[in-house]
Amino acid sequence: MADVRDILELERSPTPEVSKEVILGLRKDAPKRKKEKEVMRRPEGMHRELYALLYSDSNKDLPPLLPTDSAGQGYKSVKAKLGMKRVRPWKWMPFTNPARKDGAVFYHWRRTCDEGKEYPFAMFNKKVELLSYSDAEYSEHLLCEGWTRAETDILFELCHRFDLRWPVIHDRWPPHLTARSIEDLKERYYNVTNCLKKVNNLTGPEGKIVNYDGDHERRRKQQLLKLWDRTPKQIEEEQQLINELRKIEARKKEREKKTQDLQKLISADTDSRKMTKTTKKKIQQTKVAKLDTAPPSLESCTGIKFPDIKSSGVSLRSQRMKLPASVGQKKVKAIEQLLTELSLENSPMAVEEVCQLFNDLRSDLVLMYGLRTILLNYVFELQTLKHQCESVMPDKVLEIPEALTINTGEESPSRPRAISEMIDAVATPNTPNRKRKAALEQSNVLKKIKART
Amino acid sequence: MECNLFLCSYLGMAQAQIQQQQQKGNQSADFGPDSGGRIKGLTIVKPLIYGNVARYFGKKREEDGHTHEWTVYVKPYNNEDMSNYVKQIHFKLHESYADQNRMLTAPPYEVTETGWGEFEIVIKIYFHDPNERPVTIYHILKLFQSPPGTTPAAVTGDFKKPLVSEFYEELIFQDPSAMMHQLLTNTRQLTLGEYKHDTDFEEKKEKTIKNLLNAKEKISNEIADLREKIKLAKDTITKFKEEISKYQGDMSVDVSGLS
Repeated sequence: MADVRDILELERSPTPEVSKEVILGLRKDAPKRKKEKEVMRRPEGMHRELYALLYSDSNKDLPPLLPTDSAGQGYKSVKAKLGMKRVRPWKWMPFTNPARKDGAVFYHWRRTCDEGKEYPFAMFNKKVELLSYSDAEYSEHLLCEGWTRAETDILFELCHRFDLRWPVIHDRWPPHLTARSIEDLKERYYNVTNCLKKVNNLTGPEGKIVNYDGDHERRRKQQLLKLWDRTPKQIEEEQQLINELRKIEARKKEREKKTQDLQKLISADTDSRKMTKTTKKKIQQTKVAKLDTAPPSLESCTGIKFPDIKSSGVSLRSQRMKLPASVGQKKVKAIEQLLTELSLENSPMAVEEVCQLFNDLRSDLVLMYGLRTILLNYVFELQTLKHQCESVMPDKVLEIPEALTINTGEESPSRPRAISEMIDAVATPNTPNRKRKAALEQSNVLKKIKART
Repeated sequence: MECNLFLCSYLGMAQAQIQQQQQKGNQSADFGPDSGGRIKGLTIVKPLIYGNVARYFGKKREEDGHTHEWTVYVKPYNNEDMSNYVKQIHFKLHESYADQNRMLTAPPYEVTETGWGEFEIVIKIYFHDPNERPVTIYHILKLFQSPPGTTPAAVTGDFKKPLVSEFYEELIFQDPSAMMHQLLTNTRQLTLGEYKHDTDFEEKKEKTIKNLLNAKEKISNEIADLREKIKLAKDTITKFKEEISKYQGDMSVDVSGLS
């Protein structure tokens, strides 16, 4: 009406009916934001269709595993396909269902052309074919502990009735008989049938022996139940443990690879005599780096190996006296200290004889340092054993041989202090060995004081 | 008469030197690019002395604050002409010196300068054989007897006497080339007169060797002693452990009888 008026240019309302406010007002109302549920954002780079296939909380429709061929079916409302032929007549006729045992007669509408045919739904009455046994067979082959003839008969009857549907059979197992689990029933049934098959020498698909392992099944179901019953915390814990295991395996592999590479390099070194100084040093460094982590053992004390390069070209004698980089900082300091004690220069005159003697001496110093450390470790071990013994057997005291006590100041003070004792001053302050040494020295000092008084 | 003789001999020497230089120029061409190939198994050792002498002025110079005059040098241990096999020696001084790189191609290989501080000088020796790499020696210039900061006036003596800091070094020529071998073996005398160094290196060598041998013996004794002790310690540990395990195995038995 309003547009007719508009066309005829009759009186118009003072304000246009469709006003700006109305439009905007509607606009204001319309986008009433529905509370948006958490929508997982499609990760960038993933195609839209691919993303739609993902199962997520907002999209609970799993895509089908098998493609359907419902080309004509589906949600589209399909029109009924009506043929244009003549109408076929229908008749109210009686029928019996062969599946029924009582032979009851029912009536239904049926096409006249289909009059004589069998009731179409009878074919769905499938039954499982069970083997049966006679008394003789039973008494001869099928006797079993825990199963009476009666029970076995009941079992078979149930199986027949319920078409080997075990949960139902288990549920219908009579309560007055001994309680049986599904596995028990199954076990018995399969044992019987297998036995019968063997006895009757059945071949082909009928004679197929079913290997049913009741124990295995019981354990499997138990395990499944356990798996199902895990709390979320347990699941998380398991996940973490698996991750840690993977990391450990990876690290182990890396270590093995490194040792293999090292072995290869070492074997390559022994094979070919032409070896550059740098790679040799690298091996020495990695080898020594590995050894450094382990405490010095008697076998690993070897002194210093000076790189002896018989290379062509000009070199300085003093280069032959340089300490290789493999000698650790601690050892370098120890060597310096000892050299000053022996009143020797750190870099003496570069003559061939001197060079040789100096290198040998330094090698010996390192060896001595190592031996000293080992000895201290042993002495400490003795101390701990002694204390352990004293605490366990209070009346028995183990004596540490005199020669092994540190800083025995009982002898005349003029006894020249062994060079090795001077190394005490050299050890870096934060090693645990040093702390123990300090404690031991303290106890020794106390003993000395006691002895003197 | 004598002057004439002297002049003649001097001229003779000069001539010989020129000749040798010409020879040197030709020699590298004679031997070819690989310098005649290396002589395997041959080792030639050329000892040399390097270092510096320093002399205190007595006062601090006004214009630049320099206090010492010093000379850094490289000279052969024996009286021979190093320039036969040494092409040039490069002294790299502190960057505050103009022309911090000083190249010397003929003896005496020394650089004299004045200054006030000690620093490291890099001495690089190049050889006539192009196939031989140059060797580098690092020398810390020594000006003060006591550590810097103390006034030199406090040190008695050694006031006007120059301070010497020199070291012995050996150049080892391993498998020298034919050309190098020639150059190394045909050296001439540097001076006709007496040739000696400020430091008695022979005596130093003897002393060092003696000290080293002493020290070596001492250390060997220590090592033997330590090894013995370690063995004793090990045995004692096993003994202790046995005792403890015995006790733990049979608690009721009185083990006081065992030592």
